Amino acid sequence: MAKKLVGVVKLQLPAGKATPAPPVGPALGQYGINIMGFVKEYNEKSASQAGSIVPVEITIYSDKSFTVRLLTPPAADLLRKAAGAQKGSGTPNRTSAGQITRAQLRQIAQQKMPDMNALDIESAEKIIAGTARSMGIRIVD
Amino acid sequence: MNWLELSVEVDSEAVEAVAEVLARYGYNGGVVVEPAWTPGGEGPEFSYDTTRPSVLRTYLPLDGQAEETRQRIEQALWHLGQMRPVGPLQTRALQEEDWANAWKQHYTVLRVGERIVIAPSWLDYQPAPADVVLHLDPGMAFGTGLHPTTRLCLRLLEHYTRPGQQVLDLGTGSGILAIAAAHLGAGQVLALDNDPVAVAVAAENVARNGVCDRVTVAEGSLGAGAPMGHWLSGGSGPPEAAAPGDAVPGVGRFDLIVANLIARVLMILAADLAAALAPGGVLISSGILETRTAEVEAAFASAGLRLLERYAEGEWVALVHRRDGH
Repeated sequence: MAKKLVGVVKLQLPAGKATPAPPVGPALGQYGINIMGFVKEYNEKSASQAGSIVPVEITIYSDKSFTVRLLTPPAADLLRKAAGAQKGSGTPNRTSAGQITRAQLRQIAQQKMPDMNALDIESAEKIIAGTARSMGIRIVD
Repeated sequence: MNWLELSVEVDSEAVEAVAEVLARYGYNGGVVVEPAWTPGGEGPEFSYDTTRPSVLRTYLPLDGQAEETRQRIEQALWHLGQMRPVGPLQTRALQEEDWANAWKQHYTVLRVGERIVIAPSWLDYQPAPADVVLHLDPGMAFGTGLHPTTRLCLRLLEHYTRPGQQVLDLGTGSGILAIAAAHLGAGQVLALDNDPVAVAVAAENVARNGVCDRVTVAEGSLGAGAPMGHWLSGGSGPPEAAAPGDAVPGVGRFDLIVANLIARVLMILAADLAAALAPGGVLISSGILETRTAEVEAAFASAGLRLLERYAEGEWVALVHRRDGH
């Protein structure tokens, strides 16, 4: 009997510092997997990236086993770093939080490619540019 | 503690931007993304479905600040909503109980190795004659028998436990490995953990299995491990309450040590583990990712331990070492 996939959840967590507190507990408890099992595995895998937010993809199977795969940093984090901005704009349609160049945009798109549903680098760039706009980060030539 | 769960539905291109807003305000910067996915034929394959929306969640402790924070998030989402579609912000109050026990209803009888059967404490199980049954309620501690590292250790305990042995289970979690060793015939088992929650859970499980006379559960660790505190604390914390455990075990005492920890901690403890073994004693270690196996083996080798066996399940490895001598 092939084991069946019952859930896919992505979490954004501080590397090496996950605990059973929210969001981990409520997000995974509902699928019936052992929370400390996930916490231990995530912290061990992300330990070398301490200080960053490291997203993770958890796939959960019908026998309650699960796999843990680390993903690339959130596009928002990469954009913030590239723009030298502390945070995104709370009112992106009005105020700017900073700017990045086309070259920086391409670099971020390349870094994010493995985890994106983009067919090619151009469509990846388009998605990242969309994220930048909604954070109030402008793209300049 | 009570929590406020905030969730919002957004199209796939807006996920990153909305996640950024939620991470800014959510507890510990944590964000949950539940993407839409479709199964890909048989088995565990799947693909993301970007034509359907994803659900994003974050959590706030339900305190005096919660309502103000919720309003800020709602405002920020309203601004994003001017640029691309963002669903309304939904809220739901949540009690810790709701998720701390939710997984229990999915947990069933599990067979590991040749003879070991793990039976959840709330289920009835009629054992076959040769079965070694562990009655377990792991609560919020690590060790359900589902994780590859626990399974590797259980199989190795089955192989290496001898009647009357002195056994140490370092980082006992739910107590699963200590109880297994006792059921497999060990003489005395010392089960240590730096996490007081784990110590309480393990003590309950030991009582449940009727092995109190052979298993001692205590808070503490070996040598360099004692000041490290709970592994969730990051391990480099100040050597505060090194709770000079009466529990901290003597040197050269154990015939068998099982340490299902993580690579970094195993390396720090290599010399202490070697010293705690009696001559000829065996160390079973796990919680080691394949990529870090060489480092751990090197640390154990320089502590004077000889590698006997190496087992892998998926990306996790378990090692068996012996301290030579008589």
